[in-house]
Amino acid sequence: MKRFRQFTKWMKGETHLYLTGMAILFAMQYFRTLTPLFIQHVVDTTLDGKRSALPAFITRFLQAETVQRELLLVGLVFIGFAAFRLVFVFLQRAIFALFTERTAYKMRNRIYDHLQNLSFSYHSQAETGDLLQRSTTDVETYRRFIGEQLVDVLRLFFLVIFAIVQMSFMNPRMTFVSLAITPVVLGAAIVYFVYVKRIFRRVEEAESRMTSAVQENVTSNRVVKAFANEPFEMEKFAETSLSFREESMRLTRLMAFFWSSTDILIFGQYALTASFGVYSVVTGTLATGEFIAFLSLLGMIVWPLRQLGRIVGDFGKTQVALERIDEIMEEEDEHTRDKGEKPAISGNIRFENVGFQFADDTKPLLKEISFAAAPGETLAVIGRTGSGKSTLMNLLVRLLETTEGRILFDGKDIKSIKKKHLRKHVGVILQEPFLYSKTVRENIAIMNRDADSEHIREAARTARLHEDIENFEAGYDTIVGERGVTLSGGQKQRLAIARMLLEKKPVLVFDDSLSAVDAETDIQIRKALMKHWKDTTVFIITHRIQTAMEADRIIVLENGRIAASGTHESLIREAGLYAELYRQQTETLKQAGKIIEEGGEDHAAF
Amino acid sequence: MQHFEEETFVKKEFDKRTWKRIISFMRPLRLYVAVVILCGVLLAVADIAYPLINRYGIDVIIASGDLSALPFFIGVYVVFMIVMGILVYTFIYFAEKVQNHLAHIIRKKAFEKLQELPFSYYDRTPAGWIVARMTSDTRQLSDILSWGLIDITWGGLMMVGLATMMLILNWQLALIALSVMPLLVYLSMFFRKRILRAYRDIRKQNSKITGAFNEGILGAKTTKTLVLEEKNYADFDYLTSRMKKHSVRAALFAGLYFPTILFLASIATALVLYFGGLDVRDEVIQVGLLYVFLSYISQFFEPVMQLANVLAHFQQAQASAERVVSLIDQEVEIDDTAGVKEHYGTILEPKRANFASITGRITFENVSFRYTKGEEVLKEFSLDIAAGETVALVGSTGAGKSTIVNLVCRFYEPSSGRILVDGGDYRERSLSWLHSHLGYVLQTPELFSGTIRENIRYGKLDATEEEIVRAAKMVGAHDFIATFQKGYDTEVQEGGSRLSVGQKQLVSFARALIRDPAILILDEATSSVDTTTEKRLQKAIETIMAGRTAIVIAPRLSTVTAADKILVLEHGEVIEAGTHEELLERRGNYFKLYTNQFADLSA
Repeated sequence: MKRFRQFTKWMKGETHLYLTGMAILFAMQYFRTLTPLFIQHVVDTTLDGKRSALPAFITRFLQAETVQRELLLVGLVFIGFAAFRLVFVFLQRAIFALFTERTAYKMRNRIYDHLQNLSFSYHSQAETGDLLQRSTTDVETYRRFIGEQLVDVLRLFFLVIFAIVQMSFMNPRMTFVSLAITPVVLGAAIVYFVYVKRIFRRVEEAESRMTSAVQENVTSNRVVKAFANEPFEMEKFAETSLSFREESMRLTRLMAFFWSSTDILIFGQYALTASFGVYSVVTGTLATGEFIAFLSLLGMIVWPLRQLGRIVGDFGKTQVALERIDEIMEEEDEHTRDKGEKPAISGNIRFENVGFQFADDTKPLLKEISFAAAPGETLAVIGRTGSGKSTLMNLLVRLLETTEGRILFDGKDIKSIKKKHLRKHVGVILQEPFLYSKTVRENIAIMNRDADSEHIREAARTARLHEDIENFEAGYDTIVGERGVTLSGGQKQRLAIARMLLEKKPVLVFDDSLSAVDAETDIQIRKALMKHWKDTTVFIITHRIQTAMEADRIIVLENGRIAASGTHESLIREAGLYAELYRQQTETLKQAGKIIEEGGEDHAAF
Repeated sequence: MQHFEEETFVKKEFDKRTWKRIISFMRPLRLYVAVVILCGVLLAVADIAYPLINRYGIDVIIASGDLSALPFFIGVYVVFMIVMGILVYTFIYFAEKVQNHLAHIIRKKAFEKLQELPFSYYDRTPAGWIVARMTSDTRQLSDILSWGLIDITWGGLMMVGLATMMLILNWQLALIALSVMPLLVYLSMFFRKRILRAYRDIRKQNSKITGAFNEGILGAKTTKTLVLEEKNYADFDYLTSRMKKHSVRAALFAGLYFPTILFLASIATALVLYFGGLDVRDEVIQVGLLYVFLSYISQFFEPVMQLANVLAHFQQAQASAERVVSLIDQEVEIDDTAGVKEHYGTILEPKRANFASITGRITFENVSFRYTKGEEVLKEFSLDIAAGETVALVGSTGAGKSTIVNLVCRFYEPSSGRILVDGGDYRERSLSWLHSHLGYVLQTPELFSGTIRENIRYGKLDATEEEIVRAAKMVGAHDFIATFQKGYDTEVQEGGSRLSVGQKQLVSFARALIRDPAILILDEATSSVDTTTEKRLQKAIETIMAGRTAIVIAPRLSTVTAADKILVLEHGEVIEAGTHEELLERRGNYFKLYTNQFADLSA
């Protein structure tokens, strides 16, 4: 039952389509098995005066005085019958297509929506390739199954039932003979397709080895060339390509054996049916037309049965695909149960003994962090890699939740504020911002799609990005991101700043967001920014002293704790990390100065 | 993700030259191809002959009521069964053989070309594009040239054979049955083309959806912090609803195609039933013949559909063929002259015995250089680096540092002017000669999948175990390798024991050192590594530079202070040159750069 639900839950809202399609499919298979009976009717009834295998509702229309008239009636009814089937087969396919595509559409949207709303911690642990595989290939596997394979199975199932019914109506003994070998074909097909999966996997592995050999060679071609190892690479590749070929040929031998041996089985069934049929006709238990109809009905079921083996073999794949999708869907998303409020946010922020620790970690990343910040104030957080400064930012927008203490926004606990509301008021400029595969213009205006061109340019100018953009061939219309031009780390960071310049936020966080920009530009940009964000609470997270020193207050983080805080002037007077780093820097400068003095140059020392 | 649109290469009409080129790859397989074609012929013959067996049963045995011929009838069936079995086995086997062998041949040719192509090719061609040529295009192509081939011979012969057979058996009835065929063939082509086009739209749409998923996942943090969920979802919904529309449309085409063909067949069947029935009544023909005609009509459709399918796929395959040929026949922009090749061998077959040793003096003589599109990066640039000298290149991005290195490595060649190695133009010797004396350490340590040992050995393929360990010891990598459970057999990219960036860098140092190069190129790492690793790397660098000509690109100035000569570059020109001390004294650009460095906590 659980399996069934797992399978059907995606179809919700579309099942009426499915049932309609199935009903038509069912009827059409019945009509299909009637086709050979028209021939039987002509050969046996019209020409020979024997009984017809056609149902009464059709033979009613076939009554005539002369043979010629009856033949004409058969022909006309047959064409009418075919036209009727044309319409309904089309209808059935259209309905199934609609059902399948609607289901797939909803499925894709639901997965995408869910992925976007999964928590930050989930995303930081998940593997991109794996998630992508699940949301594309696995969906496709399911789509194909419900749209093609499941329909095929049903069609064949109905067809076999009706074929057997028609056969038994004509001659039960013949029916038995005609189905003697048929199940063996099905059995052989299932066994084969289950077995061959293993070989398939080997072929796939061989192919992926070959693909990675190419991939590696291409991406590292600099190394290959510089080391003059082209002959070695050629040999390495030829080996993988050859092994792919040989694995494929192993599969080929199996395939050739399967198809040829089942061909022998199928023709064996034909031989049996034909010989026994000829014998029965001669001995008078079967009519000639019935014999011809038997051959035709046999053909309708025995060939597709072989394909059925493949579908049965593939069913497991669909199940696995659904399980993999469900694994994502069962993860809790961060917004559905977010019952927070939407208070006004002005930028008064207070940290009260805040601590953070991952559930599966032994040591806290942050501990006993307390400080307050007010609108118009700039606060720098400085620390080494791993000191916890990025975690601090993540807590501020609830990408992570405090595990100790609390953060207050205008006196309200951050946990009572709706996440999306909070994030709309706290602008974060990431160290590694993501660019969407859109134009530069669209990327800058990503939060405010109606922003006009002039504002966008102005923002780009302030962020010192305008000139770079002008140098692109298509300027502001250049597509960037995964499917476009790759921007440098510094350009990305400046674009992220331009994005934020179109917005007015009470709180801003620079998460090491100018680390890839050179020194002079960094200073220029920051000066311009400070003018723009006068009444904002600004957090600057950095590992550069130069970036931190102009802040109103500096917090030095060491191993997740506040080691010191104060202004630049007060901190350099205290003994501690900050002062030490500052000394290091001035030391370098002094050294340079000394060399100059020794060189006798007449410049003032500094 | 591909920059290059899949359809870039599609031409409408039949491209004879491309196919000729592809067919030429099949020359070694001609025997297999002959077998495949023969099988196609024999299969068609067997398929046409089959209803005649049953006709014999109906018109001879049943009509005469004489069962003595039944054993013969059964015997014919058994023989047919065995012949079919053998035929099916043979044709599958050989068709697949042609397919797999052809794919292998194409892949090898393409890979050979890839080894010869210069760096500039890789600069402008995305890796994904190349990989797609070697995988999906090759598969598509070899598929149409093996299975497509059999479909064409079988299908063509079936249509001709069935028609001929009908005409021989009863030409009047044959003409009646065949009257719907022209329409059938026309409709098949009509539908096939549209269906295929619709599927192409679906594929395009599908790759966009994949791209959107990819963005949704990679950009999760940005999306969250900027609260873009709803906007992204709307974009995504636009894509998926288009996908839905395209898919339903394709399904409607396909859903109309099959029943239409079936309907045409029914008309032919009705006609034959009527006229054939009359003939049977008048005893002009026997029932068995009527059966044969009805069978033939139903047999006629498969080859028509198959042929329509192959022909429609053919156009797609042509696009693949064009792309594959464009890769295999890609002109090699940087290549050795014929004379050089004769003496030194080619890239794939170098004559290493003729390689002279190198002392390592490098001279730029009035070298100018521009990348294909764009301004001159170097202008009349001259530089002399003595053998054994260490030169550091300093300057902002775009100043020409990488260009100089690329030129020294002959990844690119000067647009004008000459580069001399040991006093002679390096174009007078082979690429392999130069590269076999080069040690190259990249900014990001590009290691290959495989073990640490294999990666170090990459620098000298015939290195002994002792040499590998000695190289590792010299750069200070041996210690951390020894702490690994599997030691030198540790996979560099294995999940659990993943090497840190610093460790990878040390391995790449060992890889460069083991070949004892005369010229060393050091594109120094910017990635932040911890202080101890930093010191270790520094020491390793000093070790491997000793006694060699070395060119160092260093973004962090603290590492170039020991160079024999520092060149400060700006816009492709040397604006300052000298030792660290000399340059500081000058209080020029270098001084500015040096004093402007930030005290960086991450270092």
